Amino acid sequence: MVKFTVEELRRIMDKKNNIRNMSVIAHVDHGKSTLTDSLVAAAGIIAQEVAGDVRMTDTRADEAERGITIKSTGISLFYEMSDESLKLYKGERDGNEYLINLIDSPGHVDFSSEVTAALRITDGALVVVDCIEGVCVQTETVLRQALGERIRPVLTVNKMDRCFLELQVEGEEAYQTFSRVIENANVIMATYEDTLLGDVQVYPEKGTVAFSAGLHGWAFTLSSFAKMYASKFGVDEFKMMERLWGENFFDPATKKWTNKNTGSATCKRGFVQFCYEPIKQIINTCMNDQKDKLWPMLQKLGVVMKADEKELMGKALMKRVMQTWLPASNALLEMMIYHLPSPSKAQRYRVENLYEGPLDDVYATAIRNCDPEGPLMLYVSKMIPASDKGRFFAFGRVFSGRVATGMKVRIMGPNYVPGQKKDLYVKSVQRTVIWMGKKQESVEDVPCGNTVAMVGLDQFITKNATLTNEKESDACPIRAMKFSVSPVVRVAVQCKVASDLPKLVEGLKRLAKSDPMVLCTIEESGEHIIAGAGELHLEICLKDLQEDFMGGAEIIVSPPVVSFRETVLEKSCRTVMSKSPNKHNRLYMEARPLEEGLAEAIDDGRIGPRDDPKVRSKILSEEFGWDKDLAKKIWCFGPETTGPNMVVDMCKGVQYLNEIKDSVVAGFQWASKEGALAEENMRGICFEVCDVVLHADAIHRGGGQVIPTARRVIYASQLTAKPRLLEPVYLVEIQAPENALGGIYGVLNQKRGHVFEEMQRPGTPLYNIKAYLPVIESFGFSSQLRAATSGQAFPQCVFDHWDMMTSDPLEAGSQASTLVQDIRKRKGLKEQMTPLSDFEDKL
Amino acid sequence: MYGKEITVADREMVEERADQMLREAADADVAFLVVGDPFGATTHTDLVVRAKNMGVEVKVIHNASVMNAVGVCGLQLYRYGETISIPFFTETWRPDSFYEKIQNNRRLGLHTLCLLDIRVKEPTLESLCRGKKVYEPPRFMSVNTAISQLLEVEELCGGSAYGADSLCIGVARLGSDDQKIVAGPMKKLLDVDFGPPLHCLIIVGETHPVEEEMIEFHMIKS
Repeated sequence: MVKFTVEELRRIMDKKNNIRNMSVIAHVDHGKSTLTDSLVAAAGIIAQEVAGDVRMTDTRADEAERGITIKSTGISLFYEMSDESLKLYKGERDGNEYLINLIDSPGHVDFSSEVTAALRITDGALVVVDCIEGVCVQTETVLRQALGERIRPVLTVNKMDRCFLELQVEGEEAYQTFSRVIENANVIMATYEDTLLGDVQVYPEKGTVAFSAGLHGWAFTLSSFAKMYASKFGVDEFKMMERLWGENFFDPATKKWTNKNTGSATCKRGFVQFCYEPIKQIINTCMNDQKDKLWPMLQKLGVVMKADEKELMGKALMKRVMQTWLPASNALLEMMIYHLPSPSKAQRYRVENLYEGPLDDVYATAIRNCDPEGPLMLYVSKMIPASDKGRFFAFGRVFSGRVATGMKVRIMGPNYVPGQKKDLYVKSVQRTVIWMGKKQESVEDVPCGNTVAMVGLDQFITKNATLTNEKESDACPIRAMKFSVSPVVRVAVQCKVASDLPKLVEGLKRLAKSDPMVLCTIEESGEHIIAGAGELHLEICLKDLQEDFMGGAEIIVSPPVVSFRETVLEKSCRTVMSKSPNKHNRLYMEARPLEEGLAEAIDDGRIGPRDDPKVRSKILSEEFGWDKDLAKKIWCFGPETTGPNMVVDMCKGVQYLNEIKDSVVAGFQWASKEGALAEENMRGICFEVCDVVLHADAIHRGGGQVIPTARRVIYASQLTAKPRLLEPVYLVEIQAPENALGGIYGVLNQKRGHVFEEMQRPGTPLYNIKAYLPVIESFGFSSQLRAATSGQAFPQCVFDHWDMMTSDPLEAGSQASTLVQDIRKRKGLKEQMTPLSDFEDKL
Repeated sequence: MYGKEITVADREMVEERADQMLREAADADVAFLVVGDPFGATTHTDLVVRAKNMGVEVKVIHNASVMNAVGVCGLQLYRYGETISIPFFTETWRPDSFYEKIQNNRRLGLHTLCLLDIRVKEPTLESLCRGKKVYEPPRFMSVNTAISQLLEVEELCGGSAYGADSLCIGVARLGSDDQKIVAGPMKKLLDVDFGPPLHCLIIVGETHPVEEEMIEFHMIKS
């Protein structure tokens, strides 16, 4: 029943102008997967009749059960467009056949990392917004993420059926609601000025906004209607589209267009007159089973129904009629093909965001030109569990060259440094596969511009990697993805039966592979820790771990805990010194807080270890008031070489400093990962190396001497700079009717949350509340909120920032010091902090 | 002192737990035995400083050391320049500050005594970064490794302080019955098997005729 064959699909893959790689993104429950179904149906993979109910891209049992998408799923679709529908297309094309590589992504914030992984390998995004609920917090988050990756968006205002059936909204009111939704989305997009990408705002009159009812499988853009009316009014389609939106009114009595409402009873806005009301009329006629009126109307519209379909009644009839009249796939596909870029177009400007190396080398050039004959550049953005347990497909996008079955590839992992051998493998691709929803098809090779899944690389790729040809040893990797959420919620797991331990260890390895975000680590105390973005994310991870990766072995899960950060409030009160074990080397250091906003800039990757030092020093001096010379003396960032802390060299005229730099850096990586307070990561601290005294002989100033000393002096400077704890804080967005507000405020107060915005959604009785809530208080928040508002309020929590706890962790009995003690106890450390005197040496 | 129990003090004990030793020395006699001369290498000076600060009397009994025993190879001790150590290179740590010192010695026509790295009970760098000490297997640098590292640094720095043809003397197990001394150009010494540790190396500077006669006894036969 599939309308197309693998061979057809493979053939189109070579036509890089006829490919569209796109992701579907939206807030949770705005109807992404449902809408995706209608596209899949049009490609013939599932039957038109069940489109809207199947959720083809929700391939997991728990996804179907909960009705939410958890993993992003790719699907390659083939369409043949009619000449008619392409006649106005001005871009380059190669025949009428199109390949759409579509990725459906989850809407729940806890799974944002899946969205990030999806966006990286696509060029365009279909942003789905519920016409009643409007732009929500997650819509904004993913939209910003998309624009940050230079992904061009188009918008669809979804769930139109609610206007007609549930709310029975009048035309003018509906118009106002829709235009507000579009405006809100444009406000976000307008903040991204990008000369290469151009204007990214969306306009109904230009065809970049669709109106859809995913559940019923119909959709339209203004061009769908403009086509119908253009000839009638004797104007061209573009002119007609403009008339169908904005301040354009038509009075059938006078047959005149005006740009103001004339006040006459028959004068209505173009959109209402020609789009909204005809639909409303058809729907009402169907719902009331007035078939005698219906058939002539349909005939006028040129809609032909099959005999058996004519027997349908009520909603089923309405669905069928609408699907035939305004099939969702036509409108959406046309919008995507017309307005989303092909890989060859998109890679021209995305290369800057993608490639880490020089932008004029052969790899950058091959990516820019989307050159199938160039060297292979492929980014693996995620690993997908295969049906045979324990194995994974490496899923990604070919940016240049081609990848083939049996080909030897060079795998550059996230820790690969050009010129070194770390995190680098050369392996063969066993099989290249394309994804068609629930099943996969093997193909000989996949050229650039397409998404691909590969078999046989899972042992060498943890989460993501850059692949290139075996011989291309001077290629730089493709930039790592930046996630909008961080794994701040953690649980410890252990197995119920001790003999299951090997299963647990193996299971955790697989879990780490299967999810772009989750972190699996082993504590000092031997505990296995899983860290995720939120409660729901952890819940899903634990379920996967137990059922899929451990073969159902039972595990015990600790109550969730939150990770903290350690920072400093002021500059160290004095320069501290530590001696090496042999007492012949001395390091002098001071700690100070990083300037406000600098830690965030490092998080966002605006400043990092791989920047051009000139650019970095420009940003640091202009935005953060650094001395230009000092900015060139940053030794490193940490933890993990990219974290929001740094070591700066302030020494003057010290000989052999270069020889110990690596050792100091190694000591700093270790210390910044496990701070002096509770061995939590440090954040926002700048360590200044003030002076260094070294032994005359290289043997006596090796790593064994300097690494532990660097760590001690870093701890000493941290402790003398008023150390503080940072706790993670969620931004919570809650939508609820007025009568639930009391309950919401009550629960928030109880949980140390505070509301900073309360707004009524125009045109609805709903209030939109935004509040900050400490993550530590968020466990069970949803259920308490439901209880307090009799189920009327649903929160969406997304990690927002780190908040400093004002109490002093060094003062016995303070809130922070109790917290430090608890963390230390949990980690199996000495409950008392190591005193400063153990880290600092006195002259 | 005969018949007293001996505690073996490894590097860690001397460096990190010296206080314990000094405390006991406050009201009893503690003998601290070292290999070579107590001040042959700089490590033990700090111990003396601390002892004196604590009011502990220190008496030093000198011993032979590589610094004087190396005279056996025939080069005059007066004609040695700054002594250097050559550490084992790792992937990331390749200090080459000794190069400059050799260069200075050579400019003045002085011999350079190179002490070769000894790694006994050294924590691995990875374990240092993780905070738990795991020790490396003991390693002793051979004359061959030292020469290949020296040549690598020469190539990198390119100051032609020495080269594959520079005359050197390799010494193994100095002072013992089976000591081995071989003189010759660097490139030839690369392939000489000096046997078990410990090794050291001398880069020969300008020579006196008597020195030359002595070296001739050890010269590698070509």
